[in-house]
Amino acid sequence: MHTTEQGAMLRFVEGTLVLDNVSRGDFAPAPAGWAWDGRVGAWRCDASGYSRVTQLFTERGIAFKDAVPQWQPIDWPYVSLPPLRPEQDRAVHAWLTPRRGVVVMPTGTGKTEVALAIMWETAVSTLIVAPVRDLMYQWHDRIRLGLGYDAGIIGDNTYNLRPVSVTTYDSACIHMEKLGALFGLLIFDECHHLPGPLRRDAARMSAAPMRLGLTATPERSDGLHMDLADLVGPTVYTLPLAHVRGRTLADYDVVRIPVHLSADEQSHYDSLSGEIRRYMHDKVKEDRDYSWNDLCSDAGKDPESRRVQKAFHAKTAIEDRAEEKLRVLEDLFRLHAGTRLIVFTGTNAMARDVSRRFLVPCLLNHCRKKERVEVLEGFRRGDYPVLVANQVLDEGVDIPAAKVAVVIGGKGSIRQAKQRLGRILRRQGDERAVLYEVVCAETREETRSRLRRKSDAYVRTSHRRV
Amino acid sequence: MLTSEQAIVEFEGGKARPDRLSQLRHGHYLQHAGRMLEVYREGVGLTRQALHQAIYRILDEEPDCPTRRIEAFCKLLDDVSDFDSDPHGKAPALRRQVFRLAAPNHPLVSVRDRLFEHDVADVKQRIAEELGSTWDEIDRRLFSDVMEFHTLRTFHGYPDARALLSRYNVAQTQAALYRAVKLTVWAREDFRTILRQAKLARLLHRIYQEPASREYRIEFDGPASVLRETRRYGVAMAEFLPALLACRGWRLTALLQRNRGGWKSRLELSPRDGLQGHLSEPEEFDSGVEAAFARKWGSDRRNGWQLIREGEILHARQRVFVPDFTLQHEDGREVLLEIVGFWTPEYLREKENTLRLFSGQRILLALPETSALKSPALSIDTIRYKTALKIKDVLDRLG
Repeated sequence: MHTTEQGAMLRFVEGTLVLDNVSRGDFAPAPAGWAWDGRVGAWRCDASGYSRVTQLFTERGIAFKDAVPQWQPIDWPYVSLPPLRPEQDRAVHAWLTPRRGVVVMPTGTGKTEVALAIMWETAVSTLIVAPVRDLMYQWHDRIRLGLGYDAGIIGDNTYNLRPVSVTTYDSACIHMEKLGALFGLLIFDECHHLPGPLRRDAARMSAAPMRLGLTATPERSDGLHMDLADLVGPTVYTLPLAHVRGRTLADYDVVRIPVHLSADEQSHYDSLSGEIRRYMHDKVKEDRDYSWNDLCSDAGKDPESRRVQKAFHAKTAIEDRAEEKLRVLEDLFRLHAGTRLIVFTGTNAMARDVSRRFLVPCLLNHCRKKERVEVLEGFRRGDYPVLVANQVLDEGVDIPAAKVAVVIGGKGSIRQAKQRLGRILRRQGDERAVLYEVVCAETREETRSRLRRKSDAYVRTSHRRV
Repeated sequence: MLTSEQAIVEFEGGKARPDRLSQLRHGHYLQHAGRMLEVYREGVGLTRQALHQAIYRILDEEPDCPTRRIEAFCKLLDDVSDFDSDPHGKAPALRRQVFRLAAPNHPLVSVRDRLFEHDVADVKQRIAEELGSTWDEIDRRLFSDVMEFHTLRTFHGYPDARALLSRYNVAQTQAALYRAVKLTVWAREDFRTILRQAKLARLLHRIYQEPASREYRIEFDGPASVLRETRRYGVAMAEFLPALLACRGWRLTALLQRNRGGWKSRLELSPRDGLQGHLSEPEEFDSGVEAAFARKWGSDRRNGWQLIREGEILHARQRVFVPDFTLQHEDGREVLLEIVGFWTPEYLREKENTLRLFSGQRILLALPETSALKSPALSIDTIRYKTALKIKDVLDRLG
């Protein structure tokens, strides 16, 4: 490679690397990922190509000025990390050799401790990316307690940048153009979120040479998890759920409780179903391939299909907020009086219904940090007997020692089932945990429940009906 | 701006058509828009949920109205409203009080029995007394910090129904651009405004002069666009659109991703589409000296020279410079004219450096004869003027 008298220079520019003072012909054939950018007259590639290109230049003995890294060594103010369990220790060591890659461990087996041990070991500017605000704050707390460091926060309408910072996927994706050269280590919590078409920019626009992905469930229904190898690194360690069952995690029962719609709800439900069935029947007669998607795209033009679409949403709302569910909940509260209990709902509206009916706290997206902390702390200490949550608690949020959970609505995805079980699978003595699933009989909720049980988290569980 | 969940775009034969309410087909929407404005004007104190429900009711019986359109109107109305959002955290504090008072009585049963003696009506009654209020009042305030339950404080509004519809049309076109991977603008005028606004939106450009015309083709996208097709810069393009709408003599084509599979459609737009931006037209001239000079020169040729405002874009990579005027001779010769108002020697040297980047063009620099400052020795032709730039002085230099 020939360079002009100023010498080759590698810079970070808005999420990309720019190689200055190397003309178009002098870098050809360029390594994979590089392109000549005539708009600025320089070679360019994704910032994530940093490790590869510096390694290449070094191997070939090419002199260049490296203006990319702005990360720095970190001195942890004080370290108070618990000793690692053997499987955690294996995970840390598996990662430390390549210093990039994904660690797969079930919820509740201490992924955070693995990450903190790696942060202590690498001691470099680090950005932790979490799926939701709650988890972002939780990481902030864990870093403060474990490493004595008050991390910066980027997200939740805050932009407080520090050499060690926590953020969410959405904020990381937006801000990585500015942040990409500031961190030597990226940690993606619940990293199955990363390969989304836009979110992956959070990995692609960063030059960080070290990357750690954490997840219980790497697989995605769209198959994009294959890209994690490129964005974060290969899977370096996997701890299967079956290994920890009954040891780290509690054994659990799954109990399914069918509820029936009230007479009013049922007749409304049936008439809505009839309306939808008749319409679809007529349409399919005209066009054999007519599908629900076609109906949705017709809904703008055609008031008839819009009515059918509305009928569908009305049906979902009836299932979700069936009165009977509140009565079943009362029975379960009676049955488990004196035991901490978590209720998962399908919507915020239902979560508020439960909260209003039983005067128990609910954690919803609108809750600010102070309230969240108060509610979680209160629940931990036993001040609150029940915690109600919608999506917020789906992943990773530490709920201490809840032995009973009730699911009264939710999507049929395998990941959600695993995450929800992870919430109650915290071993406490020999006590078994119970997961109740309250579903409307003879509705689509039953289908979703069947779907949930396909997950391997449910394998070998005992089922009983009440 | 709208969210992509409120965007409506139709794709047909490679063309993308953002939702558009036209006078011809949607004349009756003027009446709807009037009623919507009414709801917000008279809605001070109502919750966001109640306001949105009222908007839904207005459009419920409208046969031609997708849900996204209703959602979009709600968003546009919310955008010009202030809501009370419980800034002092009274609702969380109230919840804390209520839930803590209720906790020892858990579970609140509907009918008390020997095992569980706290029924819900009774507990609510006792809590209300404890807090010195009624249960209805407590229930009303319990979740008043939730977005849906924020109450309308002020509605700044739109001047009239037509303005709301016009904003709707622009907003839908902007929302369609969120899918854009590239934006191409053909421009005949207002180059400065177009390039400056695109730069403010952090877009990168490629500039091409269309052969045998005064038209430029400018392609906009972002840094990573050279590596892959990405809609990452679609929002920036949407932000840039209102500035372009205010300009003259342009048309655009945006390349939109139809889906993640890579199908693409073209969105085409020009002033003929009649989209009304809310920004005002850019000033034609930066100073009175320029305006007076252009007026005196007129549109006719003088000694074979024609005067064209912002006729040329000088560019090298991402540096651009648009001189005030281009003088074009019948025989094809071209000279650029830049009129400087206030200057310092440093300013002039800087300008000289800029112009040196764009070699090959003859340029005249007109400087006011004001201060006692001596202009530095410049490699560019300069003309001095007193209060106004004289046509004769310029023609003399042109030769």
